[in-house]
Amino acid sequence: MKDKMPVITRRDFIRGTIGVTLGASVFGFQWPKGEASAAGSSLVTIVRDKNAMDSAKNIDITVLEKMLAETLTKVTGQKNTKDAWLSLVKPTDVIGLVPTDHLNPTHDEVMHVVKNSLMGSGIPEDRIRDAQGSRNAKKCDALIAIPGLKAHWLTGIGTVLKNYIMYSGSPSNYHKSNSSKLGEIWNLPFVKGKTKLVLVDSLYPLCDKGPQPDPRYQWNYNGFIAGTDPVAVETVCLKIITEKRKVIRGEPWPLSPPPICVEAADKVYGLGTSRMEQIQIQHYGWEHELLL
Amino acid sequence: MNAGKLDLPKTVGVWNRPDSPRLINSKNIFKYMNGAGELYLGYRFRHLEVFDYTSPDQGNILVELYFMESPDDAFGLLSLDWGGEPVSFDGTPDATSKKSFTASTRALYGGGLMRLWSDYIYARIMAERETPASKEVVLALGKSIAANTQNPSEPVLVKKLPPEVGAAWKLRVDRLSFFRSHLVLNSIYYLSHENILDFDLSTEAVSAPYERIPGSEDPKRSQFLLVQYENLDRARQALNHFHDAYLPELKKEITADSASLFKLEDGWLAYRLLGKYIAIVFECPDPESARAILQKNESNLLKKGGGS
Repeated sequence: MKDKMPVITRRDFIRGTIGVTLGASVFGFQWPKGEASAAGSSLVTIVRDKNAMDSAKNIDITVLEKMLAETLTKVTGQKNTKDAWLSLVKPTDVIGLVPTDHLNPTHDEVMHVVKNSLMGSGIPEDRIRDAQGSRNAKKCDALIAIPGLKAHWLTGIGTVLKNYIMYSGSPSNYHKSNSSKLGEIWNLPFVKGKTKLVLVDSLYPLCDKGPQPDPRYQWNYNGFIAGTDPVAVETVCLKIITEKRKVIRGEPWPLSPPPICVEAADKVYGLGTSRMEQIQIQHYGWEHELLL
Repeated sequence: MNAGKLDLPKTVGVWNRPDSPRLINSKNIFKYMNGAGELYLGYRFRHLEVFDYTSPDQGNILVELYFMESPDDAFGLLSLDWGGEPVSFDGTPDATSKKSFTASTRALYGGGLMRLWSDYIYARIMAERETPASKEVVLALGKSIAANTQNPSEPVLVKKLPPEVGAAWKLRVDRLSFFRSHLVLNSIYYLSHENILDFDLSTEAVSAPYERIPGSEDPKRSQFLLVQYENLDRARQALNHFHDAYLPELKKEITADSASLFKLEDGWLAYRLLGKYIAIVFECPDPESARAILQKNESNLLKKGGGS
């Protein structure tokens, strides 16, 4: 039976049959198609400021604070930062901040302004913790995913969905062909439903695969990309990385391997939408090389 | 071999290194690279030595020395990206060499990062902050690494690829890569997340696009892949595996006499079993182009003593 399992190949991407082959290869022929989500429109905001980070990579905290405030009010539709946070989390929640800690890691300054913003909104400091790491989500009521924007040499993109890989307890099980299953981590009992906001640190993204950063493929985007639908946010991140690669080479330069985890998160795991036509993108601030 | 034998300077400008490097082997490379060690283990990796050159106020410079089993493996790592400014080891732009691009290019610099191939070593030297001073030091460290080492030629398999096919197709040598792993192939040209060509550390492969020579009717590009196995049986087995996974609905026609051609969604694919080699070309605009690219590669392979 195993030998007859469909193998995902380049041809699936060309034919547009990746979802079907993926479902069959991940779950066998009993792919639970009925569980795939039919997500409605998802809002993704992009807030940028050319002064957030300079060419020497010095970050202006004051600018970051303003960008975060604007992000929160635009994502939630609330009038101010406090109301925005309190529409996402409760003051009694234990709130886990989940940064990326390797390859283009989340900037410390971003973590600092998020934590300060939460505290300024009435969340006690002892209820805010770093939740990156294998078991740390179990102790949290709410999670704020704060990954750095980057491509990845094994999974194509390594930003939102991959940010929870340590929660699996066995990250190596999600490399290679199994990277398509990254979405299942978000459905683990101690993770599911806890993510209240995805805030991507896109101050200085990495658009080629690594595994180690190459400064030729990093640039000042100086932005926050945010939303409550992790797949929609990842899809917009993917678009930005793809467009930047095209700018660098002067011709299409698709990510290789293709990021199958994104479509799988939508069509197999029902975490959100990967369809651009279902994503409402709102952008504010610096317009230079928006890449959308 | 270690950095002591390479005689890496203890002090360069305002940067100083510790006496001993951090030593990384195949067991702890995943810890060092947070799970991305597969790239280096996809080649024949011996060990890694890491030096942190620190400065009081100008950022650090990281030196990573990857010691590989063969110069081919070190070449392979550099070949994954030919971008950046080619640099000769005396620090001047390397534009005068009459050798082929891949043979003459030993070091590439860009954005504060130098990558170089020197004998059994692949090295990355990266300045945390790129400044004129840090660039000078990065180049000096590269020169130290390259000093007193051999300059072997590029892998034999690389030299088997004809630079041109007729008057229509030209090899993009700046996109040519040498590798032994399907994960590395996927990072260059995605085929499948599964290992459908039976790669392992005993295989050698080279891949590059052939591009229509300017003046042709359209700028079409076709990807060529040549894989060398230990013997004919393994090559035949791998080609069977490839066909079953990649072309499951199409009739299998593996013969030693001629190329097999298939019309796919993205153009024509052709493959050919050539002794212990498999040659495959993807995305050809027509069967004639596919056949021509395979035939020219076959004749080059046989001319240079392959195919047995």
